[in-house]
Amino acid sequence: MKLSTMKLSIYRFNPDVDKKPYMQDYEIELQEGDHMLLDALLRVKHEDATLSLRKSCREGVCGSDALNINGKNGLACITSIADLEQPVVVRPLPGMPVIRDLVVDMTQFYEQYNSIKPYLQNDEPMGETERLQSPEDRAKLDGLYECVLCAACSTSCPSFWWNPDKFVGPAGLLQAYRFIVDSRDHAEEERLENLEDPYRLYRCHNIMNCVDVCPKKLNPNDAISKIKDLKIERAKEKKPKKLFSIKSL
Amino acid sequence: MLIELVTRRYPGMRFWLFQRVTAVYMAAYTPVLLLYFCIVKPVGYDAWIAFNSPWWWRVLTFLFFFSLCLHAWIGVRDVFRDYVPNQIIRDYLQAFVEVVLLACLTWSIYIFWSL
Repeated sequence: MKLSTMKLSIYRFNPDVDKKPYMQDYEIELQEGDHMLLDALLRVKHEDATLSLRKSCREGVCGSDALNINGKNGLACITSIADLEQPVVVRPLPGMPVIRDLVVDMTQFYEQYNSIKPYLQNDEPMGETERLQSPEDRAKLDGLYECVLCAACSTSCPSFWWNPDKFVGPAGLLQAYRFIVDSRDHAEEERLENLEDPYRLYRCHNIMNCVDVCPKKLNPNDAISKIKDLKIERAKEKKPKKLFSIKSL
Repeated sequence: MLIELVTRRYPGMRFWLFQRVTAVYMAAYTPVLLLYFCIVKPVGYDAWIAFNSPWWWRVLTFLFFFSLCLHAWIGVRDVFRDYVPNQIIRDYLQAFVEVVLLACLTWSIYIFWSL
């Protein structure tokens, strides 16, 4: 059953054929059950099979279909069509190299994520049971572990646009804090030291684009501020190094 | 302790910390200035000179302008690093800003300490 028509303007670029990107207009008939933008994009794809986009779970869990929708990053699968002004302008995530149409190369994003060592580091020998956490320690991970790595936040951050090779970005820093505060992780000092470079952490200027666009309603800016506070606390705890000693004379 | 934190041992933290400390000082100075202004109520040039004549007030005001220049220097430096990829142009722009800020600071010292 046809419900209504929908107008879209979609970024197109095929490096094998096109010299430069262009916007292509589409008008599609929505069907019963088409509620989210991804449904509409798949209708377009059904009419024009040359359109490329990523998608997987269709329910905001995998983070594959992060796009720039009417100028704001978000997940197409959980963006309601009813909330969008038409024609809906759909572009790939900004600041990332475009592979084709709406598909971007996320290598730098994953390299930054990898650089914060996103896994528990614990040198203590394994016991007979799991490493348990108190409810309070577990609660510290709320608002952090839910990140689906869609890159909507990092690609809305100007600091990440200009320095994707140096600045970890909000998604990576949110995950860095997730492991720093994990009571089972014993590499807090190394993790904080790893972020001391002038670019990796301190390029964040708290403009909060990341908070504005996060489809999971997380707050990377808060995590970044807490990392900065922790770095000061830990630096204050350290005994100052001796500036001079007999041996150095 | 603050001096320890702003050394080269913390290359990322120190500029961030400089900016925060200067921001806090400016945020604290401004209401003090307004309060002082409301209490003294300087009207006319002579009153304005009297308003600014206590040495401790001149020191606080100098620290305000120093904080302002340092804060602006770090901010502009960050903007140039993001938006001016050519290092030679960036260095010239940075040098220009440093000269302007230094001139402003010197001028503020001249104005307040020659009253």
